Amino acid sequence: MIRSTLEGRVGRILLDRPDQRNALTPEMAADLAMAVSHLAQKASCLLLEGEGRVFCAGFDLECCRRTPDNSALRSLLESLHKTLAAMRSSPVPVVIACHGAAIAGGCALLGGADYVIADRAVKLGYPVALLGISPAVSAPTLANRIGGGAARSRLLDPGLIGGHQALQAGLVSALVDSPEDVRPAAARAAERFASQPGGGIRATRDWLGKLEAAGAADRSGLEASLAVTGGEEGRGLLEQFLRSLNRRTAGR
Amino acid sequence: MTLATLDIRGRVATLALNRPDQRNALSIDLIASLRHRVGELARDAGSPDAPRVLILTGHGKAFCAGMDLRAVLDDPAAPPRLLGALAELTLEIRALPHVVIAQVQGAAIGGGCGLTCVADISLTHDSAKVGFPEVDLGVCPAVVAPWVVRKVGGGKARQILLRGGLLAGAEAAALGLMDRSLPGPNELDSAVRELADRIAAGGRLALRATKELLNRLDGSLDADVVREGARLSAEVVASPEAQASLRARFESS
Repeated sequence: MIRSTLEGRVGRILLDRPDQRNALTPEMAADLAMAVSHLAQKASCLLLEGEGRVFCAGFDLECCRRTPDNSALRSLLESLHKTLAAMRSSPVPVVIACHGAAIAGGCALLGGADYVIADRAVKLGYPVALLGISPAVSAPTLANRIGGGAARSRLLDPGLIGGHQALQAGLVSALVDSPEDVRPAAARAAERFASQPGGGIRATRDWLGKLEAAGAADRSGLEASLAVTGGEEGRGLLEQFLRSLNRRTAGR
Repeated sequence: MTLATLDIRGRVATLALNRPDQRNALSIDLIASLRHRVGELARDAGSPDAPRVLILTGHGKAFCAGMDLRAVLDDPAAPPRLLGALAELTLEIRALPHVVIAQVQGAAIGGGCGLTCVADISLTHDSAKVGFPEVDLGVCPAVVAPWVVRKVGGGKARQILLRGGLLAGAEAAALGLMDRSLPGPNELDSAVRELADRIAAGGRLALRATKELLNRLDGSLDADVVREGARLSAEVVASPEAQASLRARFESS
């Protein structure tokens, strides 16, 4: 469900679970972290994209519910942290084709990217405190990408934002008109990055990383998210959410 | 009359500056009253039934017209006390586990605009006037500068604090000084309520952990830098240049 291929100089990583809006299972998230660190050593640019109607709906919450000891949620958080760390410490730029939606863990991935292309009607955000989950795991990278003030309001407000607001905040680098245009535009952007001489871009990225407040390996966000998993409050809210979701789906 | 009112309804608390005849200008007494209320919120925050969201707002037409410097001009000991108390108030608000939303209607000027930057999320309306005209008066917004830098980043903070003057709500939102600007005060009121309810539906521990981490990441609880800013602001207020400029300003108004 994670497909990674080297196409010319571009390392393509595809989230391929379109029937579940590319929701990440613990296995997928672990594979994603591996794929990023592995391909970053071979390619001149990484391109992360999703199959189907949206880029990524976040963690697979059904998986989280099925493990009463919270091992699935913990493993998802660990792998998300590893993926973000691998994106930030990658020697080559990372482009994301974000079409349709990137929610919660999916939106967190944008914080690790260098360049994000989305469509105007895209839906982005972190509605996870409603499930008793803290989005702190993505705070260090998000704050590096869009600044501390914007990251604070994005992470504490569970509402979703559209393309224009995301562009204004710097979460998205460029917008295209329709979701179908996103992946082709991102592929062109990745080609352009890959065609630049590698030394200059590598040194610039390294230096920018050193100037950032939180280093790529900073675990403080992960620790904060892990600290609130497994509590009664979290499990209760998750149960409640999935029950209401199932009722809505059954009623259709 | 209570200078700061606190109203708690379920998971949402509202703390309001209540000096409407002075456009909620921050006097030593108003700041003391706000600190007292914030202390109550902090003390009760451990209870599971405690509010999760705090709306910070002002009674009357303006959120806050800034520091009440007129009242302290003739007493050299007063500016350090006023600015020092503001510094402590900002630190105490930021340390609250509640998600703080500033509802900025009418105007948020100088120290008042600084308070909006201490909130986690700030909403205003297009015709509101916000910003930091301190440098126009020969004074220095040092006490609130750390919060402005955390809100918008160093580059934009330079632009906002050094240019002086005021911004319309919509411009402030484009710069990131406010998170959102609504068409008018009525829309602002409903947007704030809706946002507060949406956030308050979240898990208490999840919200708290997220806010704690954000405070750690941006150094929000570093009291020294804010206190140093208060000292610097007070020093500049005491300078002959600032005194002359403030007197001229108050005599003409």
